[in-house]
Amino acid sequence: MATDMAMLHDVSRCTGCRACMVACKQWKDLPAEITPFDGAYQSHKSLSSKTYNLVKMNERVEDGKFHWDMIKVQCMHCENPACMNGCPEEAISKTATGAVVIDRDKCVGCGYCAINCPFDVPKIDGETHKSTKCNMCADRIENGMTPSCAQTCTASAINFGPKDEMVALAHTRLEDVKKDFPNAQLYGVDPNGVGGTNMMYILTDRPDVYGLPAEPKTPDTAINVWKDVVRPLGKFAGVAAIVGCAGAYGLSKVIAKKHQENKAKEKGGDSHVD
Amino acid sequence: MLIEKKYVPRHENSFIVCHWINAISFFMLFLTALPLYADTFRFLYDMFGAHTLQIMHRVFAVIFIANPILGLLFARKGFKTLAKEVLSFDKDDMLFNKKFPPELIGIHPTGMPKQSFYNGGEKMNITMQALLWLVLVVSGLVIWFGHGMFSKEMLSWMIPLHSIAAGLGFAAALGHIYLAASVNPDSMRGMQKGSIHAHYANAHHAKWIDELVAKGEVTRAEVEAASKEYKNK
Repeated sequence: MATDMAMLHDVSRCTGCRACMVACKQWKDLPAEITPFDGAYQSHKSLSSKTYNLVKMNERVEDGKFHWDMIKVQCMHCENPACMNGCPEEAISKTATGAVVIDRDKCVGCGYCAINCPFDVPKIDGETHKSTKCNMCADRIENGMTPSCAQTCTASAINFGPKDEMVALAHTRLEDVKKDFPNAQLYGVDPNGVGGTNMMYILTDRPDVYGLPAEPKTPDTAINVWKDVVRPLGKFAGVAAIVGCAGAYGLSKVIAKKHQENKAKEKGGDSHVD
Repeated sequence: MLIEKKYVPRHENSFIVCHWINAISFFMLFLTALPLYADTFRFLYDMFGAHTLQIMHRVFAVIFIANPILGLLFARKGFKTLAKEVLSFDKDDMLFNKKFPPELIGIHPTGMPKQSFYNGGEKMNITMQALLWLVLVVSGLVIWFGHGMFSKEMLSWMIPLHSIAAGLGFAAALGHIYLAASVNPDSMRGMQKGSIHAHYANAHHAKWIDELVAKGEVTRAEVEAASKEYKNK
């Protein structure tokens, strides 16, 4: 029986070496994307269809103190995934191990997942026209292996294991981290607007410092209105219009025929109201 | 003066072109996105390729958006009449709409009030299609270009909004086609040659004919002669 697996990124341990980015590219067989140097260590500005895993290295000065906020970003593997709920082709699913995966064959590249994702993760590839994102190395997990990013992490900042163990680890680590970073907090560990995530963090500061939404939310209402109201209603309106027109056409022919017969009977009598 | 002693000039050519561009682009937009709306039409993606249809959707979107904007420049008369008519929805239009339904199946109600250039139903259809155009265009543009410009919550609402406007627009378009092609086939000429038979015009748009007579653009005698000839046929 598959266990719910989770990844825990302890940003306090992250050295920004980017080995996880390389390991991801290697396992996923993704090409390098050369980015211009614009004065900082940050490489790619955001995830792309060729970069599923990105170490952000944001430079920040607060109260005269320099901070270097490093964080590994990728798909959050939500408990209640907006991408999956809003996919018109049912191409996205959540595996028993907790990974949110895209079925390439079913994906039509419509981009609804990119619109609905509260973390802006899925990217449509310009060549294959398919949605792309981290799948937590679902193939490796199913074969008892560790996702390539966690496997390669030199600083033991990326932990991977059964979710309950990761949750326990997150709480113990948080106590330690808090000694140095009083603002330290967990992210995604407890159920939140997306139901909690299988990608969890120990942050040393507020989520927005790392570009994470403080209160991520699955747009359930909009998606449900679209799925349960708009789509059926639209189909009904279309079918009703076709059936209505066809019915009215048939009926008008019948009435016209009767009208003709009456006219013939009355021998052109003009008593009938036209 | 009637054309060929029979037809009242109704629409300028540029306005007719606008109408058909709008019709074609709407249906192409509807068809190219249909597989996302209903799984039944998934075969369209399989047949033409999802990406091809998605690109076509954008191409026709540009046409659909540009068409009425260009129309305001090149078919000014038609759009002016349209705006004036829609804004003058009155009691007679209400009464017309109340009495109209039996007409759908060919029963001609009595005591229909005189109608102007557009009848009450047409005015409703024009208003609705104009509003749906706006909703489709705004929501469509936000979906296309709005990434990062609007809140995620707002973006996610654009999908149901775009879909419902498309669904309603399609149903209304079918009704519009049925009324034109089956209930009032004489009206079709207006969107083909730009003129309609004087008999039809007088029977369905009497207020408009009264106006034309008052302006001296046609004479009452002409209209009556054309009607007589029409009835004798």
